[in-house]
Amino acid sequence: MKTIGLIVLFSIELLAFSANDIIKEVEHNIQSDSGYSKVTMVVATSRGERSMKMESFNRGNEKSFIKILYPKQDSGITFLKIDTTMWQYVPKIEKTIKIPSSMMMQSWMGSDFTNDDMAKESSIVDDYNSAISSEDEKNYILTLIPKEDAPVVWGKIIMTIQKEHFIPLNAVYYDEDGVEKRTLKYSDVKVIGSRHFPSVMTLLPSDKKSNKTVVTMDEMDFDAVIDDSRFTMSALKRYSR
Amino acid sequence: MFSTALFVFVSAISDGSHKQIIRSSVEIYPGYMEITNAAFEDDPSFENLIFDVQKAKESLQGIDGVQASSVRFETYALYATSEKSVGGMFCGIEPENEAKISRLKASLVAGEYLNSDDTNALYLGEELAKRLHVKVGDTLSFISTAADYSFAADNLIIKGLFKTKLYEFDNSSAFVNKAYFDTVMKSQNIATHIILSPKDIEQIDATTLLVQQVLSKELEVKNYKETMEDLILAMEVDSVFGYITLGIFFIVIFFVIAIFAFLSVYARIRQIGILRAIGTTPRGVMSMILVEAMILGTISVGIGGAVSAYGAYYFEKNPIELSSMGDLDMEEYMTQYNMVAEITFPTDFNPSNILIQMFIMLLLNIVTVIYPIIMMNRFTPTEAIRYV
Repeated sequence: MKTIGLIVLFSIELLAFSANDIIKEVEHNIQSDSGYSKVTMVVATSRGERSMKMESFNRGNEKSFIKILYPKQDSGITFLKIDTTMWQYVPKIEKTIKIPSSMMMQSWMGSDFTNDDMAKESSIVDDYNSAISSEDEKNYILTLIPKEDAPVVWGKIIMTIQKEHFIPLNAVYYDEDGVEKRTLKYSDVKVIGSRHFPSVMTLLPSDKKSNKTVVTMDEMDFDAVIDDSRFTMSALKRYSR
Repeated sequence: MFSTALFVFVSAISDGSHKQIIRSSVEIYPGYMEITNAAFEDDPSFENLIFDVQKAKESLQGIDGVQASSVRFETYALYATSEKSVGGMFCGIEPENEAKISRLKASLVAGEYLNSDDTNALYLGEELAKRLHVKVGDTLSFISTAADYSFAADNLIIKGLFKTKLYEFDNSSAFVNKAYFDTVMKSQNIATHIILSPKDIEQIDATTLLVQQVLSKELEVKNYKETMEDLILAMEVDSVFGYITLGIFFIVIFFVIAIFAFLSVYARIRQIGILRAIGTTPRGVMSMILVEAMILGTISVGIGGAVSAYGAYYFEKNPIELSSMGDLDMEEYMTQYNMVAEITFPTDFNPSNILIQMFIMLLLNIVTVIYPIIMMNRFTPTEAIRYV
């Protein structure tokens, strides 16, 4: 009887997920080693709405390439991110520009996302200490605190994750003073292979109630075959056309 | 005499240098009065701009206290050459009007200032040019977010370089003609600031009030006393400490004068005893010595005041230049602390202040003889005559 009890307890221990396990499952759902996507970004402010279309290629978290497809005036602008460094090619001025670290917190293409959001090599597992702060039948609530020397700008992130398929529902970002700065909401989950992927992300800045940026994944390939040359400096100009 | 001269001159230097620092800080770029969207200070985003510049400018036309005005659109841009990219302020200005409300044009050190026909011409801070390794005639690109949140980029030719006395400003700022800025940044009839210059700085609070009354509710006007509150406060604190130092100095001086007054009055005690013996009343003695003190005080304060007033006047016209103090390069020193790199210090020649200061010194002079007179009047004529 005592042995059965121990086995039951051990099994419960095995079934319980640690915060890191949950994050890894979430990252499996939303990240890929070699991915391609077509994305629509709608930026809404009190003064109106603006939409952009782009295609994105990534190799893990380390490398990514983005090309703006729409609107016409911006089409051909390309971005390359390798590790935490980001370059931009602007066809109008025919120049490749490295985004300096001082500009990383500036808005990316007029959206509520920053250059830092786009360039971040972030793996939540690597950069944050995570803990399950609460849970109910359906969701985990995780609190993420940055590790001491982690190159991140947030003081705390609170994530809500759906238990059944480890789908992120929302993430609330706080600055170093504990002030809420923005909320990222995930919705429209699509099942692609073994992944449950939220195809719409809505970013809501806390201090600008009338603003929001909605990113919709129109196409998504988690196992795309991408040539290495896509992630080189010369690709910025070559693939701009 | 010496005390009066010192008091008047030190006060003139203190007031003059404070006024100079404030004037330079205001006139180099920020301006005496600024109109912005009322929410812009708390949230300086494109949501909170002046969305009808023309209407705002029209409403200012009837205000007599406003001498000049100029429109600015300030934002951030990334400047890039083929080798380097640096972030900084990107500002559209009305070149002719800007020259009336700031020292931007006067700060030209190379090339030419902007004019209202310029298109891709850039007026660049000298320190920023050094960081980007560019000079007049070179091409520089910028990327930024336009007023409608779209992407903005263009190539610019450096038309001129400026150097003000604000290192950080020179290190991070660049200007283009607002008409061109509006086309590339989609900001027609939109601005972040309208800068105003008052006819009479002494009347700036009244003018600010008048301007606020004619503006629409979503706009607000502030003068330099609010926008540069910290600097004004720092100068006031510095003045207070200056006056405390002078106060301590005067306490010492007062007692030195009092001792001399006491000795000089007591040296005449037998003379006073004789005067009392022949019928002079204590009140008469007091009046006599007070009149003497007043005559001597007026002469010494007059000479001291006149000398220092001339000094204050002279050094107002020919400011004291402190380019270095020993091994310390003043300009470099002030730059380190992000202060206006002001190395010339004019005195403040203010006749009414000088007269008040001279009057204070005269009063002090008279006060010093009151105690010896009271003490002396306690003697009877016989005691006074026999006093050794």
